[in-house]
Amino acid sequence: MDPANTPLGKMLLDEITPVVMVLSTPLVEEASLKNHLSFVQMLSPFCSFNNIDVPVRTASDQPYRLQKFKLRLFSASDIRQPNLEVAKEQLKHFISQAGDKDDMFSDPPQISNLLASSESEIQPSWFQFFNKELVRTVSFSEHEAFDHPVACLLVVSSKDEQPINRFIDLFNTDKLPSLLNDGAMDPKILKHYLLVHDNQDGSPEKAAKILTEMKSTFGSNECQLLCINSSHDGPVEPQDNPWAPYESDVSPSQCVGCFLNIDDSNEIKDLMQDLSSKHIIPYMEQKIRFLNQQVSATRKGFRNQIKNLWWRKGKEDAVDSPDGPMYTFSSIESQIRVLGDYAFMLRDYELALSNYRLISTDYKLDKAWKRYAGVQEMMGLTFFMLDQSRKEAEYCMENAFNTYLKIGSLSQQNATRCGLWWVEMLKTRDQYKEAAVVYFRLCSEEPLHSAVFLEQASYCYLLSKPPMLRKFGFHLVLSGDRYKKCDQIKHAIRTYRSSVSVFEGIMWGHIKDNVHFRIGQWYAILGMDDLAVKHMLEVLACSHQPKTTQELFLRDFLQIVQKTGKTFEVLKLQLPQVNISSLKVVFEDHRTYASPAAATVRESLWQSLEEDIIPPLSNVRTNWLDLQSNSKKYKESNVCVAGEAVKVDIEFKNPLQIPISISGVSLICELSLGSDDASSSTVELQNDDDFKNLITNRDMSSDNVSFTLSEVDVLLGGAETTVVKLTVTPKVEGLLQITGVRWKLSSSVVGFHNFESNHMKKKNAKGRRKSKHSCSDNLKFIVIKSLPKLEGFIDSVPEKVYAGDLQRLVLELRNQSEFAVKNLKMKVSHPRFLNIGNQKNLNSEFPACLERKTSSDPCCVGDSSSSLSQNVFLFPEDTLIQEGTPLLWPVWLWAAIPGDINLYITVYYEMADVSRGMRFRTLRMHYNLQVVPSLDLSFQISPSPSRLHEFLVRMDVVNKTSSESLQVHQLSSVGGQWEISLLQPVDTIFPSQSLMAGQSLSCFFMLKSCRKSLTSEDKISTLSPVLGSDVGLGPEDSNQPLFDVSSSPLADFHHYERLHQEMSHQGDPNAVDFILISRPLTSGDSERPHLFSHHACHCRQYFKRKPNIVASGWASDTIS
Amino acid sequence: MATTACFIIVSRNDIPIYEAEVGSATKREDAAQLHQFILHAALDIVQDLAWTTSAMFLKAIDRFNDLVVSVYVTAGHILSICGCFIDGIKFVFLFLS
Repeated sequence: MDPANTPLGKMLLDEITPVVMVLSTPLVEEASLKNHLSFVQMLSPFCSFNNIDVPVRTASDQPYRLQKFKLRLFSASDIRQPNLEVAKEQLKHFISQAGDKDDMFSDPPQISNLLASSESEIQPSWFQFFNKELVRTVSFSEHEAFDHPVACLLVVSSKDEQPINRFIDLFNTDKLPSLLNDGAMDPKILKHYLLVHDNQDGSPEKAAKILTEMKSTFGSNECQLLCINSSHDGPVEPQDNPWAPYESDVSPSQCVGCFLNIDDSNEIKDLMQDLSSKHIIPYMEQKIRFLNQQVSATRKGFRNQIKNLWWRKGKEDAVDSPDGPMYTFSSIESQIRVLGDYAFMLRDYELALSNYRLISTDYKLDKAWKRYAGVQEMMGLTFFMLDQSRKEAEYCMENAFNTYLKIGSLSQQNATRCGLWWVEMLKTRDQYKEAAVVYFRLCSEEPLHSAVFLEQASYCYLLSKPPMLRKFGFHLVLSGDRYKKCDQIKHAIRTYRSSVSVFEGIMWGHIKDNVHFRIGQWYAILGMDDLAVKHMLEVLACSHQPKTTQELFLRDFLQIVQKTGKTFEVLKLQLPQVNISSLKVVFEDHRTYASPAAATVRESLWQSLEEDIIPPLSNVRTNWLDLQSNSKKYKESNVCVAGEAVKVDIEFKNPLQIPISISGVSLICELSLGSDDASSSTVELQNDDDFKNLITNRDMSSDNVSFTLSEVDVLLGGAETTVVKLTVTPKVEGLLQITGVRWKLSSSVVGFHNFESNHMKKKNAKGRRKSKHSCSDNLKFIVIKSLPKLEGFIDSVPEKVYAGDLQRLVLELRNQSEFAVKNLKMKVSHPRFLNIGNQKNLNSEFPACLERKTSSDPCCVGDSSSSLSQNVFLFPEDTLIQEGTPLLWPVWLWAAIPGDINLYITVYYEMADVSRGMRFRTLRMHYNLQVVPSLDLSFQISPSPSRLHEFLVRMDVVNKTSSESLQVHQLSSVGGQWEISLLQPVDTIFPSQSLMAGQSLSCFFMLKSCRKSLTSEDKISTLSPVLGSDVGLGPEDSNQPLFDVSSSPLADFHHYERLHQEMSHQGDPNAVDFILISRPLTSGDSERPHLFSHHACHCRQYFKRKPNIVASGWASDTIS
Repeated sequence: MATTACFIIVSRNDIPIYEAEVGSATKREDAAQLHQFILHAALDIVQDLAWTTSAMFLKAIDRFNDLVVSVYVTAGHILSICGCFIDGIKFVFLFLS
């Protein structure tokens, strides 16, 4: 590739060209200003030639033809080093303007799109201009000769008085650039005299006269006449306006070049062509040849070189200023530099290079670092233009760059220009990675320029092969930060936004948070709050950040939201996190629960308990048609009852370490009326948009009264997880679907979470999973007509009881609805602990009701045994629970064994009104009991030494309670065949009449067998306990009544105890059961009387048993 | 002189699985995110370099101002361990099985 056609080549051919200084009188400017152009501007479009075709002969004898050529025209006042501050201001203004043009709302480009497009498409177009302007800030430096004017164009108007004198005065004023006055360049430069005639001022006859006068004074070749403003028809819009680039400088109503017709243009064109080909180029040729001779004479050849070296060594102790020694135009060093630059401009690169090389060593030896760097820079560019030795070109550029930097801040601009050329050089050779590094090195104290360089660096990383996307993103972010520092927020946002696509989906939390947080912040500054909130939302759930950062993020976010004054609705708000897998739905169809605890019990447990009392399903169906439709519908969805709440438990987790407040947590539900509308039941939310619509719809019809929702407020502490209990209560029949949950964060942002869509995602990710189906169906309900529902509880169930404690409790069943229920049945999971009493027990006094009546009434024994056999208690058939009248029913609680006991009770009932959707329901109750040990009881039976049918019974009792004192009341033997009696008077056995905590006691009794017929007794003992014999152990004088162990509930509990203890050993007709009844001496709560009964079953002679539980039967240590 | 170091273990697909900020320097507020940016960007270089050399330890492959990035790449390029340091602290690994 021809170096001249590369971007850098074009740039060099544009920038390193001969400068022509223009000196004009005010009247000339006045004439050209009619066109809204300065005189230089008027000529400039015609200074660039693509096909000038001038033969050039420089140092060598071989001429070559120059095709492209360009002159740079400057008025004398502009030929000076630009003011750095002004230039910076201009650049800043320019960058701000470029930022305003950016589209802040469009989506940032995707990375794949960026990779597919070319350099010019992805980079903002103003980079080129910015770079050019930066390069120009260091023009007209005295250490470089290519900016020194080659020629001077003196322009006088024909209206000027004494034009000849004006010409002379123009050059002799002290307004000439410092370059000429300081001696940095030769003031004897090529002069060209131009007379300008404004055709609007009359015919050019007078001008022609002046021209002849000029020619006689300055020489005929050097003088020319230019007629302008020939257009007589007033302002016209010229076609193909060559001055179009200057249009932006004037107001749009004014037209640039309006008085210049085609003849004027041609005249200017000819003038410039003439000036270039006939004057400037030959002059430069001539100068090159002259200087070359000079250089050859003084510097070429072995002798000159030695001399030069010697002479320079001698100067070593010269001042070590950063600029090095001063070189005037007449010094040989300056002449070599001029020779090199002229040769470069006439594109004799070989000649230029040899001279640059020569002068480079001189400057180095002189420690003239700035000049040395300048020459190195030119050497690099010459190597590039020669398209040889890439390495050397780069080395020279780097050397120049480093040398400029070494000099200090004064040469920073030079370093920048050098760097920009270097970058272009690397880019031309596709070394984008290296180019990016150079851009990075260009960053200086000036943050705005650094920002632009960093942004350009990032694009270099993107364009490198393979693309370095991470570096691209990183440098965009760096650049954005610097833009922000200079208050170029729009640029900052642009760079950050471009980086978002790079950092999308990465797991580097700090990076993501930083990017989104900054964009959010900056959008907020610009007042684009919607976008700000969108980005801020991304950083809210930043659990990996330190606490202070989390606070900052949340505070800023809430500030932005409050500033908008709007309530944002955000789908899948990450604060707090909703744990979908924790979703638990409790609803009541025919199964109802008395307490939340009952709802948590495994369904299988309830099912096994209810097995006996629930009618088989086939009973419900009336005919096959009904069966089909019903079963299908019921299989698809759950059933719930209008007016009854569906409870949903969901876990909310605060990912942050700071507390957040959440208010108004409620479910999002949809209730379509008419459950037979099949289509509505199949509607599924396809995506989040649908979900959002649903939400808005719901909000609009907020007066919807088909269901009510509960609202919960939660304050979540740092990293806290809370289960939120929500309910929805449908009020009418239909199809209810729970679709999601909504909440309000810090009372400003509404968050939603959709149960279903999350669900779908999981399904997609994990493939097919059976459980999915059931879970999604969990949220769909068929609402049926409101039904009576029993509420029930057992009054004051103690949490902690002593083993053996017998209490009478009351079961209360209430019906809130207006419809009655009937056919009540009840089943208890542990009849050993809980026994259903008799209605008549309810009002009698406890424990007096258990006392042995004088006229014994054994009927209840038969009653209880019949109900016991089925394990199901049937309430009397006429029991009907109506609204407002609760049913009270006594139940007996007896703590059989110590331990943690779960009692499950289920109550079955049927609707009195069969027409309602459901025939029966069950009420499930659950209670937990803690039973602690009380009395440890054991018996030893040994034959009486004197009589065959008498036995000695030794009873050992230990009080295992921690503080309770117990008074032993009575010992009973169960069964008619045994009779128990005291061996000693009671007072000798219980001197204190009570057992203190930890006290133990032994006493003896006499047991007498009064068995008559073995067969008949056997039968009785297995079927039911018959009347036994009792021994009162209380104080003799008190004469307390004894309790009847053969009646309910003691007999019932004894029955279960026997059954239970029977497991371990077979029934033996010779075994005897004992019941020890005691009472607490000081009852904890005086209102409720306590009674303790301890049962020892199957006690017998000659049998060894290990004690396993308190109050169970103990066999004696055998006496044999 | 105060030293600072960031140590990150990166698994396949650029997922950081361990991060540690060590060093005696007073922590800059944004140090953690700057280090993440630097190390994340350095992965671009690692990606190129890891295929051109058989060495597992790639010393000072990238730098950002005075932070130098050194990388240890495990066999099969399953993990890369990056550290970025001021003041050239020695890179010492303790491998605990």
